Amino acid sequence: MPPQLPLAEPGTPDTRGPLWYIWWLVRCQPWRVLRGALIGTAWMLGLSLRPYLVARAIDDGLRAADYRTLLWWVAAIVAAGTGLAYLGIMRHRTMTFVREDASARSATVLSRHLSGIGAVLPRRLAAGDVATVGGADITHTSAVLTMTGPGVGAVLAYVFVAFVLWSVAPLLAVLVLLGVPAVVLVVAPLLRRLERVESVYRHQQGVLTTRAADIVAGLRVLAGVGGRGLFARRYAARSQQLLAEGYRVGAVNSWIEALTIVVPGLFLAAVVWLAARMAAAGDITIGQMVAVYGYVAVLIVPVWFLLEGGYQLIRGRVAARRIVALLNLTPDEVGPASPVGGTQPQPAPDGPADLHDPDTGLTVPAGRLLAVAADDPNAAVALADRLGRYVGSEVTWGGVPLTSIALDEVRARILVADHDSYLFAGTLRETLTVRAGSSDADLRVALRTASAEDIVDAHPDGLAMPVGARARTLSGGQRQRVRLARALLAEPDVLILIDPTSAVDSHTEARIARRLHAARAGRTTVVLTSSPLLLGNADLVAHLCQGRVVAVGSHVELLQGDPGYRALVSRDGVSADVDGSRR
Amino acid sequence: MSGLPVADRPVVRRAALGLIAVDRRAVVVVLLLHGAAAVAGLATPWLLGRIVDAVAAGAGTAELDRLALAIGGCVLAHGLLTRYAQYAGHRFGERAVARLREGFVARTLDLPISVVERAGTGELATRSSVDVTTVGSTVRDVVPVMVIASTQLTLLFGAVFLLHPLLGLVALTGLPSIVAVTRWYLRRARPAYLAEGAATAELTEALTTTAEGARTVEGLRLGAVRIAHGRQRIGRVWASRRATLALRSVFFPVVEASYALPIAAVLLFGGVLLDRDMATLGEVVAAALYLQQAIEPLDRLLQWMEQAQRGLASFARVLGVGQQSDPATTSVTAGAPRPRDPVPVRPGRLVVRGARFSYADGPDVLHGIDLAVRAGERLAIVGPSGAGKSTLARLLAGIDAPREGVVSLDGRPVTDLDPAERRRRIALVTQEHHVFIGTLRDNLAFAAPDASDEQMRAALAAVSADWYADLADGLDTQLGDGARELGAADAQQLALARLVLADPHILILDEATAALDPTTARRTERALAAVVSGRTVIAIAHRLNTAHDADRVAVLEDGRITELGSHDELVRAGGAYAALWHSWHG
Repeated sequence: MPPQLPLAEPGTPDTRGPLWYIWWLVRCQPWRVLRGALIGTAWMLGLSLRPYLVARAIDDGLRAADYRTLLWWVAAIVAAGTGLAYLGIMRHRTMTFVREDASARSATVLSRHLSGIGAVLPRRLAAGDVATVGGADITHTSAVLTMTGPGVGAVLAYVFVAFVLWSVAPLLAVLVLLGVPAVVLVVAPLLRRLERVESVYRHQQGVLTTRAADIVAGLRVLAGVGGRGLFARRYAARSQQLLAEGYRVGAVNSWIEALTIVVPGLFLAAVVWLAARMAAAGDITIGQMVAVYGYVAVLIVPVWFLLEGGYQLIRGRVAARRIVALLNLTPDEVGPASPVGGTQPQPAPDGPADLHDPDTGLTVPAGRLLAVAADDPNAAVALADRLGRYVGSEVTWGGVPLTSIALDEVRARILVADHDSYLFAGTLRETLTVRAGSSDADLRVALRTASAEDIVDAHPDGLAMPVGARARTLSGGQRQRVRLARALLAEPDVLILIDPTSAVDSHTEARIARRLHAARAGRTTVVLTSSPLLLGNADLVAHLCQGRVVAVGSHVELLQGDPGYRALVSRDGVSADVDGSRR
Repeated sequence: MSGLPVADRPVVRRAALGLIAVDRRAVVVVLLLHGAAAVAGLATPWLLGRIVDAVAAGAGTAELDRLALAIGGCVLAHGLLTRYAQYAGHRFGERAVARLREGFVARTLDLPISVVERAGTGELATRSSVDVTTVGSTVRDVVPVMVIASTQLTLLFGAVFLLHPLLGLVALTGLPSIVAVTRWYLRRARPAYLAEGAATAELTEALTTTAEGARTVEGLRLGAVRIAHGRQRIGRVWASRRATLALRSVFFPVVEASYALPIAAVLLFGGVLLDRDMATLGEVVAAALYLQQAIEPLDRLLQWMEQAQRGLASFARVLGVGQQSDPATTSVTAGAPRPRDPVPVRPGRLVVRGARFSYADGPDVLHGIDLAVRAGERLAIVGPSGAGKSTLARLLAGIDAPREGVVSLDGRPVTDLDPAERRRRIALVTQEHHVFIGTLRDNLAFAAPDASDEQMRAALAAVSADWYADLADGLDTQLGDGARELGAADAQQLALARLVLADPHILILDEATAALDPTTARRTERALAAVVSGRTVIAIAHRLNTAHDADRVAVLEDGRITELGSHDELVRAGGAYAALWHSWHG
């Protein structure tokens, strides 16, 4: 029966190793796997039926010129064909269900795990790795489960044939029993070798494909400054390299194809030759000799299934190893500095509380809008990472060390909104909804604060407008305002904004600065910026110079009292040459 | 949906025949070798029959040994012939695929940029990756299987016809059900498998984006949302897989059950023929055995039919790219690189007269622009977002032609200039930057192939690309695709360095420093200004110090130029620009 997908509860994967993981996928659906094994065996044994029936139709019908009997045997051939077709499709359906259940289970546990690891993931894994695991690796791992159906059937069919042969001639049975594994052992490494050669080729092919995609992605740049001819020639040169590699693969590939014909073919010839000599010597009858040929020829199908199964197992094990490695990445193991003073997390402050960063000497007053003007943009980002606990630090919150508070609590109440904050694909409504229960009215309020109403108003679908991954369809300024609106909608107790208006024009910037102050009234907000418009609308401004807070006061006070600050934030095109003082 | 055409049947057929014609001799060799291999393969069962007959006739062991040796010989011959047939076929396929992909990339590079933008780069990217790869694997994996299976089937059915033409006709009577169900299946298979592929890709993308946005998922506590998203994608994959399984659930059993029909027909009709002495027992038996052997190649042929069809569809899409490419401009990539003539530094006069423009039948974005940019002038264009600044930049660069009116350089419409010539004189850098896979040198060299390392380093210094000092491998540092990733700001400086190297007469900078932090942007702009002194610079920027530094400022509002003059003049005039300037100061 078909599985119910997506699974309500995928269970807990066994991540002790790749084979354990594959075994877990089997254990989750024992009855379906058993059914697959039964049908697979029946189908495989049924394959030997047709040659038998044809032989009987010839012998009992045609040769004996008994047309009634011929009719019966022909009817049996058609019926057997139909029955075999039925078994075949049932086997295929059952095994498809087995593989799909396994794939959906892997995808579900991976999705759950990826959603829970958090900020550390990009540092541990390239996105390309996740794409491999989430695509090909899931499929390859599930393919191993094919062995449980036709694989079991193949082994049983092999044993059955050997059994029958034993009753004919023990010598032939021994030859077949030992010969078939020998053939498999000779051919299987060849397939692995082929896989290796092919993987080199496929890798190069992938590189070439990436180049083509790279050229396509950069077409606008090439249109702007030229250089198309150079790229065409460079691509052609790489294409010729791949061609040479392709010839190499072809050479190996074709020899392997030839060997997969020659080795089993010679084995079959040897068996027939031996049987013929035994028949000529009178040890077995002619009928038995023909049967021997038939049985061994029938073995070809299960042998190929076993070969393919072995190959799938090798490939699937590598794939499962990558899945297991990803599932074994844990947020705890790779989280920021472990809690200071024992393992027991301390409670976070109940209400609004000051944040204090000893590294810079900065104190973020609770319930106020603090702007920080830093001489070095990197120092500002580092400060945000400390205040948001993306790195270990000495930061305290209401006197409690931030690193000793449960991480989940910190994430729920302190939000760092950075430039590269990821925008997921979906409608704008989905992109903005980060809190359950946000109404469209809430979204529009936040969009207004971020001065981003125009994005929605200009689109016929309004809030239902589609937004691609990373919101590539929006302009840089639009993306920045959508990110700001989303951060506001999260309504954190402490909101830390990094340069939230760097890509918008000054009218918009002025509007955002005014509205932001009103929207965050009574809650703690930190804005890292050098824009005089934002600084002018802050309750308090801190000047961060060479990693330390050197002055705190209102924007106007600092402009008057702190020449360094004035030089840093002035947009007066004439006097603000700050190059020398900074580098 | 897609702006890119798909080649129609005659074009596809011509292209396929063209690929064969170019390599005619190889194709003949491949077919001959495969034919010989198939004959050798069929000889084995025939020799086995001879052994049975020999034993029945009481032949001696010497005769049996001879026959067994002959079988061994046939097996070896079959293997060797297969080897060389496959190898020759493989080489032919590789050559054809290489020709195809190189032609595709060359045609892609020749596409006018406006065509690319109308179609969307996504569509083009799909064709360059998915379709080219699909055609490649079809030629390499599917075509050989089809050729071998077809050869074997032709020989087997041909043998039945040779044995007894009537039996041959009877054998064909078993095929109509296979033909019918295959047609039924192929009509439905393509959209179903395409949907399956799309659903699978969406699931992979869902997992990948969750990983890419992991910090955001943690920060905004989106875990539950992403899990729900993943579940939804898994559900869609399952639905699409069930759809294809349903198709196979009809196709496979009908085809498999049909394999028995030709055999049954030949046996029954053979009985009738025997009865009337119109055929011998040997002929009927041989025909039945040949048909039984035909099952395996027939099965393989049908299994791969769907793949072959998909390959053909991809082939049509690959050929479709470049079909509408204007033949007059397709010479860019042909032949050797054009020598860069030492054109005297003469920026030229860029004039816009009555230019109106609209995107794809939409309302006009520009309503009659008149603007004369003096040679060597620094002009800033400012205005609210959506005013048409970027559109104007594209018209000035000759990427789009105005719907009405004209943009001319020294009296010649810019869109009439030869593309290579145009790019040498006018360059456009937008905030959309792209770092190509390759070394830093590669990324600079294409703008100026003759530039020395020293010039490249100087260009990087000219745009304040301080990060260059941190690169251990200098110009040989690998960029992009898993190697060093440049941030948006660094990539923008790289784009500007290219511009310095290309050294065009007219530079159009559309928010070309928007990704830099304010101080660095300022520094970069000033350094750049020093390097390109004497050139015409047209800059669009929301940061007004760019306008402050310019010779003249044009204010663009709602597709019209409302103010034009120097910074001081406009501030004194107290209009829109003055308001913007004061607001910007905070």
